Order: sequence, then C-alpha cells, then structure tokens
Amino acid sequence: MTDATTEMKVTAASDIEVDRDALDASIHEFAEVSGDYYVNSFHKIHDATGILPNTFNLWAAVLGPLWAASRAIWGVFWAFLILEVIAWVQIGRGWWGNPGADMADRAARQSARAQELMDKANAATEQTDIDRFSKLAENIQAAADKSMVQADASQAEAFSIMVTGFLLLLIFKLIQGFYANQVYEKQYSNWRIDPENTESGRAPRNAIMGALLTAAIGPLIVYKFTVSTSMVLLDEFPEEPVSKVILGEGNGTLYATLAKWMEARIDAAAIAGGDVFDGIVAGVRTVLDALTLALNGSPWPVVMLVIAVTAWRAAGPRVAIFTVASMAYVAVLGYWATAMETVALVGASVILCVVIGIPLGIWFGKSRRAYRAAEPVLDLMQTLPAFVYLIPVIAFFGTGNPPGILATIIFGMPPVIRLTALGMRGVPESIKEAAVAFGASKWQLLKDVEIPLALPSIMTGVNQTILMCLSMVVIISLIGGGGLGKDVLEALQYAAKGQGLLAGFAILFLAMVMDRIVQGAFRREDQKD
Amino acid sequence: MNDTVVKLTDVWKIFGTRADEAMAAVKAEGIGKPEVLERFQCVVGVQGATFDVPRGEIFCIMGLSGSGKSTLVRHVNRLIEPTAGKIEIMGQDVSAISETELRRIRAQQIGMVFQHMALMPHRSVRDNVAYPLEIRKVPKSKRWAISDHALGLVDLTGYEDRLPKELSGGMQQRVGIARALASDPEILLMDEPFSALDPLIRLQLQDQFKALVAQLKKTTLFITHDLDEAIRIGHRIAIMKDGVIVQIGTPEDIVMNPADEYVREFVQGISKLKLVKAHSIMEPLDSYKGDLNGAPRADHGADLDQLIDLAVETDQPVVITDSGADVGIVTKPRLLRGIQGGKND
Repeated sequence: MTDATTEMKVTAASDIEVDRDALDASIHEFAEVSGDYYVNSFHKIHDATGILPNTFNLWAAVLGPLWAASRAIWGVFWAFLILEVIAWVQIGRGWWGNPGADMADRAARQSARAQELMDKANAATEQTDIDRFSKLAENIQAAADKSMVQADASQAEAFSIMVTGFLLLLIFKLIQGFYANQVYEKQYSNWRIDPENTESGRAPRNAIMGALLTAAIGPLIVYKFTVSTSMVLLDEFPEEPVSKVILGEGNGTLYATLAKWMEARIDAAAIAGGDVFDGIVAGVRTVLDALTLALNGSPWPVVMLVIAVTAWRAAGPRVAIFTVASMAYVAVLGYWATAMETVALVGASVILCVVIGIPLGIWFGKSRRAYRAAEPVLDLMQTLPAFVYLIPVIAFFGTGNPPGILATIIFGMPPVIRLTALGMRGVPESIKEAAVAFGASKWQLLKDVEIPLALPSIMTGVNQTILMCLSMVVIISLIGGGGLGKDVLEALQYAAKGQGLLAGFAILFLAMVMDRIVQGAFRREDQKD
Repeated sequence: MNDTVVKLTDVWKIFGTRADEAMAAVKAEGIGKPEVLERFQCVVGVQGATFDVPRGEIFCIMGLSGSGKSTLVRHVNRLIEPTAGKIEIMGQDVSAISETELRRIRAQQIGMVFQHMALMPHRSVRDNVAYPLEIRKVPKSKRWAISDHALGLVDLTGYEDRLPKELSGGMQQRVGIARALASDPEILLMDEPFSALDPLIRLQLQDQFKALVAQLKKTTLFITHDLDEAIRIGHRIAIMKDGVIVQIGTPEDIVMNPADEYVREFVQGISKLKLVKAHSIMEPLDSYKGDLNGAPRADHGADLDQLIDLAVETDQPVVITDSGADVGIVTKPRLLRGIQGGKND
C-alpha cells in the first residue's frame, strides 16, 4: 500500500501558503461584473484582522440602495432606502418646504387687521373711538411683528434642517461605502454554501426593480413630508370611490354591503342548523350540570376536603396548605358558590377538550396530510381574538354557560391536539417496528407503545389546555357565562374597584391552585420513570 | 432431518412510487441500479436474493451500511413487502398469508432482535420480555413464568422488575434476546444486535449467543457489518454489496476463496488461525520424499493454530489423518502460506 496515490505531503501550518487562484476564480464567478475589483476587496477583507472595514466601495456610496438592489442584497437595499429617504426629507424641508409659512401667514393677517383698525380710527369722528381703535391697531400690529419674528426664526431654522439633512446623507453614504464590500463578502460566503438559493452577480432585473421601488417610494414620501398641505388622495385611502367603482353609484359602501351579506348568511345558517346547535348545547349542558351537581350540589365541607386531600396526594403538603388558604379566602368572602361554578365551567371545557382533542391529536400524529390540513385551523383557533368568535357563538348557540364553554373549547383545544400529535410523532420508529415484528396489531401498537410513550407530551398538552381554559373565564362572562368572571365583569361595568379586585384575586388563586395541583401530579409521574 | 426453514427465491425490493414499472423494466431489459434511479427515481434495495437456511443454522448476512442487508432480513417477517420473488418459512409462502395469520407467525415463529434494542421504556424488563406473549393473550401467570425463564437463559435473573434504562447497554441487548426467545420461535432475526456495544461486551455476548442458539437449536439470520463477527458466529455467511449477494459460503470458503475483489479486500485483515482447516492446505502424501515416521499427526479438521503447535516441536511435516488414515501432509512453508491466507507459491 505504498503507491503514489496514497502518499501525502505534510506541511506545517505556518508554512501553508494561501492559494489565491481557486478563490479568485470563485469570486469572479460570483461577482460576474467587475470581478477584479471584488477579488481585490475580498482579499483585503480576508486579510483584515481588525473589526473596522478596510475597503471603500465608491459606487455603493454614490448609488446607495440602487447598488444594493443591483447586487441583490435586499436587506441593505431596504435599510438604506429608508435612511436615505429620511435624509432627503430633511433636505427637502429645508430647501423648498416653508417651515415659517404658518407664522408668516398669521403675521400678514394680523397686519391687515391692524391696517383695517387704523383705517377705522382715521375714519372715526369721536375721540374715544379714535383712541380705542388706534390702541387695538397698535396691539395687533405688535402681535403681527412678533409673528413675523417667529416666522423669520423658523425660516432661519430651515437652513439648519437642510444642513442636518445633508450631514445625515453624507454619513449614510459613508457607511454604505465602507460596509458595502463587507456585506457583499458575507453574501459571497452564503453563495459558496448555497449557490442555488443565493443570488450572485449583477442582474439588470434586480437593478430595475430597485430603481422602480426607489422611484415609487422616495419622491412620494419626500413630497408628503415637505409640503404643508399635500393632496387628499395621499392622506386617505379613497374608500368611497373604490366602492362606487365596484358596486356602482348609490349602492352604499363595500363595507356595509359585505357586513349585511355576512349577517344574512349567519342568520340563515343558525336557522338551518338549529337542531344540530341545540343538540350540541344540550350535550355540553349535560357535562356542565354533572360537574355543577358534584361541586355545588355536594355539601361544601365535603368538596373542600376532597380538594384539599387531592392537592396533598398529587402535589405534596405545601401545595395542600396553599390550597386550603385559597379556599378559605374564597369561602370567607362569599365567593364559594360562584368559584365552584367557575371550576365546573373550566372542568367541563377541559373534559371536552381532552375527549375531542386527544383522538384528533392521535389522528394528526399518524397522518401527516391530515395534520397539514388541520394546522391552519389550529392556528386560527389560537390567534383569532376571542371577541371575534364570540359573535358567531352567540348567533349559533345563544348566550349562557354552554356557549361560554364552546368558546372556551375553541381557544383551549389546540395545545392538547398539537402536543398529542407531537408526542405521537416522537415515538421512536425502532420501538414501533419491534412491536409490529412481534405481531402487534394496529390497536395493540397504539395502546401498548404509542400512547404510553407519547403520554408525557400529551400530559403537557392537557396542562396547557387547563390554563388556557382558565384564562377564558372572564371573557365568556361577556356572553352570559357565570362564575367569578361575571363578578369581575360587573365590577368593570360599574368601576367598583374593591369588588373587582377581590373577585380577580379569587380567580388568580383558583388558577394557581389548579396549576400547582396538575403540575405537581405530572412531576410525580415524571419522577416515577 | 435437515429441512429448510427459511427459503428466499429471487427476492427483489425496489423503493419508490414507481417500483412496479421499475421492476418490469429490470426484468425486461436488465437495467442496473443507477439507471433505475435515473429513469424511475426508485432505489433498488435488494436485487435477486436467493438462499435457503436449514434448521439450526446461523446464517450471517454481512455487508456495509446501505448494502441492503437490513432490508433483506425484514422480508422474512414481512415488515417489508418484496417487489418480486418468493419467501417461504417452513414451506409456507409468507406473501400469500392473511394479516391475522401473519401476526400469528410473527408472534410465534419469529423472534427479532434490533440494533438499538427497541425496548419499551415504560415497561419493566419482565414485561418487555413478555410482550410477544401478551400480544398472543397468554395469561399473566404463564407469561411471567416464561419471561423469567427466558431472562434466566441470558443471565439476567434478579433484574426482572427493573426498567430498561436502569440496565447497561449489554444487559439491555440481553433483554432484547430474551424477548426474542420468549415465544420459543423457530427463527431468530438478529439485526446487527451487537453493533452498538463496546468490543469487550460484544465478544462476550457473541460467545453467549452462539452457545445459546446451539443449545436451543434456533434457525438464525444474523445481520452484521463486521466480518469478524460473522466468522465467529456464522455457520454460513452471505456477503452483500449494493443489494446483491456477492458470495455465500462457510467462513473458511469465503476467506480461502473470495469470489471477487470486493470480498478479497474484506477478508484481507481476517486472522486465519482458527478458520483455515488442515484439509484445505494439505499436500498429497507423496509430495514429501523424506521419512514420515515419528512425524506429528493431526486430524483433517484441525485448524492452523493447532498445526502450528505441532509443527514447532519437530522438523518433519505434520501428517494429516482422516478417520485414522494418513491423507496428506502440511510442511512448514505450506503452513506459513496458509496463515497468509492460502496464497499459492
């Protein structure tokens, strides 16, 4: 094994010469136009050891954003387009904008008024009138002079504004000149790694796009900010003319038409699906009634004892003490029944979320296509402000506790679905394969391998769902949901500070107790593993 | 009774959405792997694998990663469906049976051990071993007894109630072996079971495994990327390259007569001492002109190691016997060449 191909020449690191040829060729290929210049600049950058830039790109400085656009460095293009436009606005304001114009106008008006009074004084016959008018004219003339001085001062300021503008522009140009090659070298490094997705060279298309964007943005902004009264068209979107163009003359605005149309649709759907919606409400009510009966129907000492013992068993003595203290606060202030109603509301929401969400999560975890289809819906459920979907909820399900629970479910279900799917996908393929190799059926695979291994993730999802459901408690009181949220809402409406704070703390304690108990239970579970 | 337990006939596996078209093209035009990839965007996993494994044999499939050996062995319990070809287990065509029957065969006839153990982390060692029985709905008392017995076979008595993560890698793999043995299957599929273990533990487990299989008489398909391991464990070895079985033979066969350059390169670094037997290097009796009286004698099945022990004691060649009769001799030059790997002078 001593043939020539396996022989290797060993060179000490200090003796290694930088091989420029390959690098130069690659930079040439990257830059396409004026390759030699960039070869030189990149060499300087590659040889530099300090942090300050050591090259200056004159064209980048002069052309600014246009240079960046032609070289397809869009981040730089946008940053310096904005900065340069700011500088140009300053220059424009100083150059032809008239900062003293308002004041000069006022001075002229005041002078005219003074002249008018003077004329009256001259025309008057009685001495008292003459005195009065000339005194007034004098005062107004003084005010006019003052305005004139101010106008002049503003005018003088215009010059300094313009100078500031030029200074800013100069600084921006210098920054662009000094950093252009640095940035371009970064782009070159990226291009080396990923030539497919990194633009290189100088494409006319990019230059034209940059020029068009600059032409569209720059002049309009400079115009808007330098002229004291600009065109109305630039200040306000022409909503009515556009509506007219689309709907025709005299048919109202697009907004009103759409709103009316949607209202009609929703009403029609509510009527058409009335039975279905009533059925859903009845189902939710059954769960809620059962929980309410358990929490509010049972004697309060029993409920308190059960909760305290649960806290102790699940999360230890410290959480148990905190739980007892919180329950004492709630009970002593007379919130016991309403607090239990809240717990029933949250409990019913969580139960429904889990019952619906875990099977969905399992399905989404197994079928990538189903998950991809559902993901936008899940995103919508979480990002849509609650107030927005309260409206259709009222339309379809009416008001009261069950619709409140439905609104809570919309907001609270995504985490348990997502985390179940995540957990299902996280089950190692090898363990699944082993189970199949030993003859497990699909159901056995799910029951013995997938769900147990996904359980920690599922439990995290359940915990998040509980907290999200709790956060909806106040909001659902807007559509007639009861419990502590109602107390807070009432306090809000009458600005009853004390009442509101007390109810708010009751909700806070409820949330903390639930979170502590659930987390404590999960942590114990973890420690067992 | 030397009946065939596993029999593969011209098994092909092509991965990709257009696998059937690709298969047809391969059959009709005999195109190769690169062309299939180019024309059909399909990857050829296994090309025309044919072999059979008699009862009680350890059949090693050796190849580097990507050679298709894991794919091939997964055809036996139909974790992977073949694109073409026939797979028989004890005379039964695996691809023809129903889903239920397949699950029964997997649970009763085939035990499998995986490279990464694939134990269920939430179950105790005992419950892991008992899982194949649980699938078959064996009552708990019975499964516990069986799994304790299986754990005894791999020297893990006393660890039944531990969780897998409390055990070392070697112990976890022994649990894996116990699990494969628990349902007392006819066939063992070993997918690189010892590759992830450190060398010393690996040697131990190899010996333990070999003894265990010999005792239990399991037909074994053993996958490995390590030729040393294949030689230590296997009765026969199949060497795979790019989905093709290049050579099938006994360890000695493969080392002494590599089928091609690829195999030759593999066997180069293998120690021949325990592998090469006297009969494969001996010369005819009459090629030695001197006196053979008092020369040491060895059976024709003696390996080079034993021959060296005999040869260093004397100046004469070693006489090789078969059932007491002299059949040939091994001179010292011949012996040295034998150590080199049968290079002819």
